[in-house]
Amino acid sequence: MSDTSIQTGPWAATPKMRSAAPVGPADDGTMRVDFTGRRGALFWLALKTGFFTILTLGFYRFWMKTRLRRWYWSAMRPGGHPMEYAGDPIEKLLGFFIAVVILTFYIGLVNLLLMFVSFSVFNSSVIGYLASFAGVIPLWFYARYRARRYVLARTRWRGVRFGLEKGAWGYAWRALWYWFCTIVTLGILWPRMTFLLEKYKTDRMFFGSARLYQGGRWPMLYRATLPFVFSLIALGASIAWVFYIDPVFDGDAITATQLIKELDDAMNGSWSSFDLLGPERLLLIPITLSGLLFGAIYYRWVSKRIMANHKLGPGVQFASALSGVRVTFIYVLGNFIAYLTLVLGLVSLVLLALVVFVGGDMVLADDIWGRNYLADLPRWISVVVFAVLYLTFFLLWGVLYNTFVTFPLMRHMARTTTLPVTEGLGLISQRDRDDFAEAEGFAEALDLGAAI
Amino acid sequence: MSLGFDGLGAAYFDGDRPEPQEVSLHIASGMLQIGLDDGDTLRWPVGEVRQLPDHAGKTGVVLRRITDPVGRLYLTDKSVLEHLPHLTRRAPPKGRGRLVAWAVAAVAAVAFQIFVLVPLLADNLAGFIPPGGERALGEATFGQIREALDESGLSPLEICEGAEGTAALNALVGRLGGDRDFSQEVTISVLDHEMVNAFALPGGFVVLFRGLIEAANGPDEVAAVLAHEIGHVISADPTRHALRSAGSIGVLGLLFGDFAGGAVVLFLAERLIAAQYSQAAEIGADTFAHDVLAQAGINPGALSDMFENMRAKTGDVDGLVAHFLSHPSLGDRINAAQAEVEEDAVYTPSMMDADWAAVQTICD
Repeated sequence: MSDTSIQTGPWAATPKMRSAAPVGPADDGTMRVDFTGRRGALFWLALKTGFFTILTLGFYRFWMKTRLRRWYWSAMRPGGHPMEYAGDPIEKLLGFFIAVVILTFYIGLVNLLLMFVSFSVFNSSVIGYLASFAGVIPLWFYARYRARRYVLARTRWRGVRFGLEKGAWGYAWRALWYWFCTIVTLGILWPRMTFLLEKYKTDRMFFGSARLYQGGRWPMLYRATLPFVFSLIALGASIAWVFYIDPVFDGDAITATQLIKELDDAMNGSWSSFDLLGPERLLLIPITLSGLLFGAIYYRWVSKRIMANHKLGPGVQFASALSGVRVTFIYVLGNFIAYLTLVLGLVSLVLLALVVFVGGDMVLADDIWGRNYLADLPRWISVVVFAVLYLTFFLLWGVLYNTFVTFPLMRHMARTTTLPVTEGLGLISQRDRDDFAEAEGFAEALDLGAAI
Repeated sequence: MSLGFDGLGAAYFDGDRPEPQEVSLHIASGMLQIGLDDGDTLRWPVGEVRQLPDHAGKTGVVLRRITDPVGRLYLTDKSVLEHLPHLTRRAPPKGRGRLVAWAVAAVAAVAFQIFVLVPLLADNLAGFIPPGGERALGEATFGQIREALDESGLSPLEICEGAEGTAALNALVGRLGGDRDFSQEVTISVLDHEMVNAFALPGGFVVLFRGLIEAANGPDEVAAVLAHEIGHVISADPTRHALRSAGSIGVLGLLFGDFAGGAVVLFLAERLIAAQYSQAAEIGADTFAHDVLAQAGINPGALSDMFENMRAKTGDVDGLVAHFLSHPSLGDRINAAQAEVEEDAVYTPSMMDADWAAVQTICD
């Protein structure tokens, strides 16, 4: 094992991309990424671990997350060799405890004092809530970087560790500044934020001894914003057309409150109050709103693709053929299936609650002896049954999301990624283990480690 | 005896360079022998070989030796596995002491925070909130509670405003106050809801539910509840409680991983309804109620009558009774209230029959 890095950045000279390498057959030296897992196996793993999580009142979640990551990592196989997730659930639990010890004092005392000041000085709780929320934002970015560092430190491929340099506070204050710039320019500088934050992380990322480098410039991400921008323009134009230029609602400029009142009347069956001019044009609003949603997903993933195509290592180059449309499709279909289950689950839960708490007489037919077994159960049993169903329902949501959103997303990402240049791999050697006492504890405690 | 296995597609990674090395595989004399291209042969005792768990897909497994944290053997011929006895055996636990220490520290930190530090700070700071701020806090919370209790989902729960009933209740507050005029500090409202309950909010808001008035056996029981809640107002219990909640809810949210969620606000309102004051605060409010009732010439035993009446009526742990039952000393408190009743004293009802009738119909 050698400790000397072959690219101890900062880079002496900015590495140059090879002329765009076309994604060709494997024999031209392009390394492909396979994805081997089956959806059914993942479903059972998620179901099993989720079940244990509920049984242990949430403590198994550290094991659940570890096992799911192991599974996903080993399914992704660049060059046919599986990635490895070497994280340990116990270290996650420990990290969580450490984070709780540190954060309780911050959050408890700071919230209490903010509330006090808010009531004493401003006579209102809103300022207190805002300040308490704002106080957590830098911590949130900090935790995000730390969580990424932990995950990379526990990720290996071909026995060699990945890694991320320290620098969480640098990330947090940069993120705050870029967000500020984005907000004051009404979102025009959003691609700059996306790019610079990704560059901050990529430039500090290692595979073994090799440092990665994010090439390119931030304006190249504007391409990815096109669907969003078009949808925004279309939405603005539709609103202008339907409500101002040629209003659907009769005549005089109608204020929002009037409109709501008239809609209320309409609900009550009195349509008489206004005439509609081409009401079918109102459909433009949901259509353009969906376009906006598509634009947001498209931007998020296509910007990832563009940046992946400009990521470099010494003698290693990445290429991604990820499809923004396909990713949107995965999101929409996956969420649809998961939400459908959610709604069906909710409906049956409500029916059951009616049976249990209102008494079964109205819903379930009594048996021939005139008794109703469900309604005769002691109250505490019905409460327990209700609680168990409630938890089951959340368990299923997580399982379905993993199966129908995360799985196809990971698969699509893996299969569209290639490494057209891999000559540099032979020069890479192992890096030291990054001992990381608090693991992703902060992210866990602040509830942002939910993503795989 | 030596067993050979198919090394095609298998690869050894030495834990230093990300380059696959082709291997030939044998098991002989209790060793997994991994022959490398450069002529070296690695010998792994079969008992020391482990398989990486939760491996996706049917093709391939990854093996490691317990003494080497980074070296990996990728296999495609799974017939090797049956010769390796301890593939899934766990590593002996290490660092458990440290884990336990931090677990204890985390529990202690949260407990210290919720039971010592936050109450201490809240008690001390509560006195410094100016009346305007307290009033605003109470108004905001009252609004949230009214919205939370509303079942139609349209407008906040109605406040009952029958003119005569309101006047009678205000007169009762005046009578309870005697020389000390509570009417400056206390605002009394009745909410149109069947819950048998009453609570106090910061800024002197005392709220009775219609259900409590309906369940009461007479005006004295309502007066007793009122006196108890005024006791909380006078000692600023609700304000402390609100500050405490602000401090401790964030901490609890941390444990359950739902910080800064919208649920926090609602939870806060709910906590205030089911206000679990400390036992000392409850007993303080009881004592206050005894004194105030006795001074006003109202039977202090009404408080215990009210507890027993509720218990008999609902026959279950419900509403107000549950609220008080959560404190183990209910029996003591009933006895304490009865001890205040003096044999030879002459008590007058807390209000006239006509006024009581007006209070009972305040929501109509």
